[in-house]
Amino acid sequence: MEWDFTLLLIGNGVLIGLMYSLIALGFVVVYKATDAINFAQGEFVMLAALISAAVIVLMEMPFWVGVVVTLLGMISFSFGLERFILRALLGRPIVAIIMATIGLAAILRGLGPLFFGAETRSITLPVGDEPIIFGPFILQPVQVTGAAVALLFLGGFTWFFLKSRMGVAMRAVADNQQVAMAMGINVERYFALAWAMAGIVSALSGIVWGAMLGVDVHVALVGLKVFPVVILGGLDSIIGAVVGGLIVGIVENLAAGYLDPLVGGGTKDFAPYVLMIIALMIRPYGIFGKRKIERV
Amino acid sequence: MFHRESGYFKTTYAADGGLYPLPIAKWTVGVLLVGFILLPTISTVVSGAVSAEYYVSVVNLILIAVVGALGLNILVGYTGQISIGHAGFMSVGAYTAANLAVKLDLPFWITLPAGGLMAAFIGVIVGIPSLRIKGLYLAIATLAAQLIIEWVINHTPAISGGSQASIEVPRPTVLGHPLKTQRELYYFLLFFAVLSIVATLNLVRSRIGRAFVAIRDQDIAAEIIGINIFRYKLTAFAISSFYAGVTGVLYTYYLGIANYENFLITTSIDYLAMIIIGGLGSVLGSILGAIFVTLLPIVIRLFMESFGTLLFSASDLNNIIPATRLGLFGLLIIVFLVVEPEGLNRLWRNIRNYFRVWPFSY
Amino acid sequence: MTRHLARLTAAAAGAILMSAGAAIAQPKEIVIGVQCDRTGATQTVGVFFCPAVHDYTNLINSKGGVEGRKIRAMEIDHEYKVPQGMEAYERHKKEGAVSILLYGTPHTQALAAKLAEDKIPGTSPGFGSAASADGKRYPYLFPIAATYWSQAAAAVKFVKDKLGGNLKGKKIAYLFYDNPAGKEPLPILEDLAKLEGFELKTFAVPAPGVEMGAQILDITQRYRADFVIAHLFGRSPSVSIKEFKRVGFPLSKVVSFVWGSAEADLQAAGGGAVAEGYNTMQFAGVGSDYPVHKQIRDMYQKEGKPAPKEMASTVYYNRGIFHIAVHIEAVRNALKAKGANANITGEDVKNGFEKVKGITLDGLMPPLEITPADHEGGGWVQIFTVKGGKLTKSSEWFRAYPEVIKKHIEADAKKS
Repeated sequence: MEWDFTLLLIGNGVLIGLMYSLIALGFVVVYKATDAINFAQGEFVMLAALISAAVIVLMEMPFWVGVVVTLLGMISFSFGLERFILRALLGRPIVAIIMATIGLAAILRGLGPLFFGAETRSITLPVGDEPIIFGPFILQPVQVTGAAVALLFLGGFTWFFLKSRMGVAMRAVADNQQVAMAMGINVERYFALAWAMAGIVSALSGIVWGAMLGVDVHVALVGLKVFPVVILGGLDSIIGAVVGGLIVGIVENLAAGYLDPLVGGGTKDFAPYVLMIIALMIRPYGIFGKRKIERV
Repeated sequence: MFHRESGYFKTTYAADGGLYPLPIAKWTVGVLLVGFILLPTISTVVSGAVSAEYYVSVVNLILIAVVGALGLNILVGYTGQISIGHAGFMSVGAYTAANLAVKLDLPFWITLPAGGLMAAFIGVIVGIPSLRIKGLYLAIATLAAQLIIEWVINHTPAISGGSQASIEVPRPTVLGHPLKTQRELYYFLLFFAVLSIVATLNLVRSRIGRAFVAIRDQDIAAEIIGINIFRYKLTAFAISSFYAGVTGVLYTYYLGIANYENFLITTSIDYLAMIIIGGLGSVLGSILGAIFVTLLPIVIRLFMESFGTLLFSASDLNNIIPATRLGLFGLLIIVFLVVEPEGLNRLWRNIRNYFRVWPFSY
Repeated sequence: MTRHLARLTAAAAGAILMSAGAAIAQPKEIVIGVQCDRTGATQTVGVFFCPAVHDYTNLINSKGGVEGRKIRAMEIDHEYKVPQGMEAYERHKKEGAVSILLYGTPHTQALAAKLAEDKIPGTSPGFGSAASADGKRYPYLFPIAATYWSQAAAAVKFVKDKLGGNLKGKKIAYLFYDNPAGKEPLPILEDLAKLEGFELKTFAVPAPGVEMGAQILDITQRYRADFVIAHLFGRSPSVSIKEFKRVGFPLSKVVSFVWGSAEADLQAAGGGAVAEGYNTMQFAGVGSDYPVHKQIRDMYQKEGKPAPKEMASTVYYNRGIFHIAVHIEAVRNALKAKGANANITGEDVKNGFEKVKGITLDGLMPPLEITPADHEGGGWVQIFTVKGGKLTKSSEWFRAYPEVIKKHIEADAKKS
């Protein structure tokens, strides 16, 4: 009986962890290529959800039109963001970029509801709503879709960074911008490309999370979940984002199942942060993160 | 500050590092101080007692914010260690003072430093990871610290005073007189704001302050020239958290209640915005930033209340005012970062430099 | 940049002068302060709640005002931040507000002492602290609607009726948002568990509450609860609906407190059809068929405008009407006592609040009766159940276990 329950919790954790990884991937891709930190990742997801809901629910377009419009919208949005704001902040202290994205988050939360309407809407994925029963597990189709998309991106990005010419160039840019430039790589183009990729990931996570939570500004709350995930995995590691997501998902669920009754409070969102601090003390650059050597 | 500066040249380091940049500055500071002391009286004479109470209440919020912004600037602006969890230290200070004030019936001149010291103690613990991690990793570690502090307060009735997690605090009393009105609280807050400004000015021109700046600019280099990084990083966390703790205590006395829901991450972000907009690594910048961020929503609202009806209907306006405020808040942060990285402080210096040779430039 | 700043300062100065001028021009207007949150943590409530306040005020004004006096509902958005709430309060005071619609639990607590010092009554329906129902201890604070304690008692009563009138040996799960507001009802529930002999187990959902698979699995697979009392905020109610649906737990065995019970929560869970059977607790009626809605629509029609779109979210919209209607009734009582042209003060309106009785708005309002001792007005709630995708009334106004709540209020008063 008890083991069944543990198994259920872990199964739940794996799925939701992959859903977290989906958001974290957008964060990691940008950091890997451009060293920029996006504290507005949650608001990105919210914006994508708002756009897709506006197209699918308000304009009553078919689902795939919504996906395409959201993808285009998010790509051009993150592209513009890079071009007009973040490029101006290149080489500035880290707090400047953190604050710029926090400022962006405020803008999106202020103006998003004004343009798209403040009421809650629901979008439905074309995968149905009936739970999928798989052995002892009862799975939400939305979460299964989200997990599948996350794994797809994991595969895609891994291939991209390891094998494709562009991916290798992007890694070169991430490693050392000046050397990359000297080798004839157009650094600015790759920055734009990285942000466009983040836009794609945000668009899809916006649709998936929007379908799971319902679409309004509250979707942005998932942004808080991304930090333990990326720190545990390492900020610049694609596989780290997925492993970090899985760890956070499983730890959360086990904490809620076994720690909560002991302490009489919700430890679900608190346990990953504690774990993260411990991990930082042991490995300051995350599990899969790359150690940076500093020179004077 | 407000006087002509041309014609003075400094020949010694002592003169360059002096608290008053020019001999005449003593007079300026004196005039400003008298002005601030008379402010409630002046505003009462000008606008009547009822309105004065409101204007003074806004100034009070600014005075509290000044203390917190100065503290955060010591850590972020001077020492270069990022903290996104500063509001957590404020709640540590708030609950320490509230518990002492309610359970042991202690007066504010004991609870206030006690709140600050407790926050400093927690700050040092949070600061320990800064010895190993930096940049974004440290930023997120402080964010985690804030969440952990919140959680502990929320789940420890001995600290939070029960499931409501709020403790009502009696008004501070000076010479047996409880400070109730905004005007009375104004002097209370002004005293601590001035104290923290003077303390910060002295700190940053001392040996400790110079060590902070060295660590900010390049910590490995600082270590090589003989600065004990371990000690100074933790000192920076301790001093900065002390200020934050005091800010929390001041809020507690000002609101009459300690409640951790007053000190969530949004509060941390507001304070970061203050020092970014005001100017990192600048005392004047912290003050200007505190003024700016506190007044921004109020000014936008007044403006929209007066002129917004020309463009929008009243019911739309109720939605537009808050949305504009939030959007403009974000936009201003970005604009300052992109256009004027050194913030309002730099703007002020530019104005001053312009007038230094005015009207005989060239 | 400098020039812009100068222009901004000039504009601000102009704004201050103009607002001062406006205040002098209409001395007979009665100002009611409205605190609101349209951009902060609870904005999805505020965007429906606050427009209703204005619509109802305009309706009253269009019918000639209260005893011939016009009402000005002055809204200030505080973004759910306490310092801003303090500023809003001082501004309202400056404008001469005679009563204040508070918004937010921390704000209510922060202003409790101030309200009493300045003698301005404030109301906190559905939030604030339950102990403030005690009018002797908090003379200027009026919860006016069922507090979390009353809601807890009513929930237990509802569960008891649903489970055949006897709770002996039954298992009840309390699923709550892990913040002070979520924990407030715990003492009442624990007391009632002893009194009624049921087993109570609590399940905390920490912020931000976007995922609660583990808690729901625990409730349904390990604890195997007979009934669930849910007290969730923000996005978490809809997540709980979805999760219950996934594991096949009947939603008819869930009853939600007042902040997890709006159309928006059902919509976020995937529409009303998904939430079939879900029981919600309300402190104001649900639906847009009350006569007051028709009057508001007519008022808009006269101006040649469509009905406000906020009206579609009837739960929050009606709560906005409820909130301001009690204030207007209190002002009416004050004017009756002092004379229609008198200059009423906050103290007069406070006395007016303590005489509020018998405003029904044809069933939208509970049978509220505020007295100097009981500022909660009885602690009435109504249950609405999702049937056919819509919230349908499934009980009359009721309250439960007043003696247990009274005991706790008295104990709380002694504590401090």
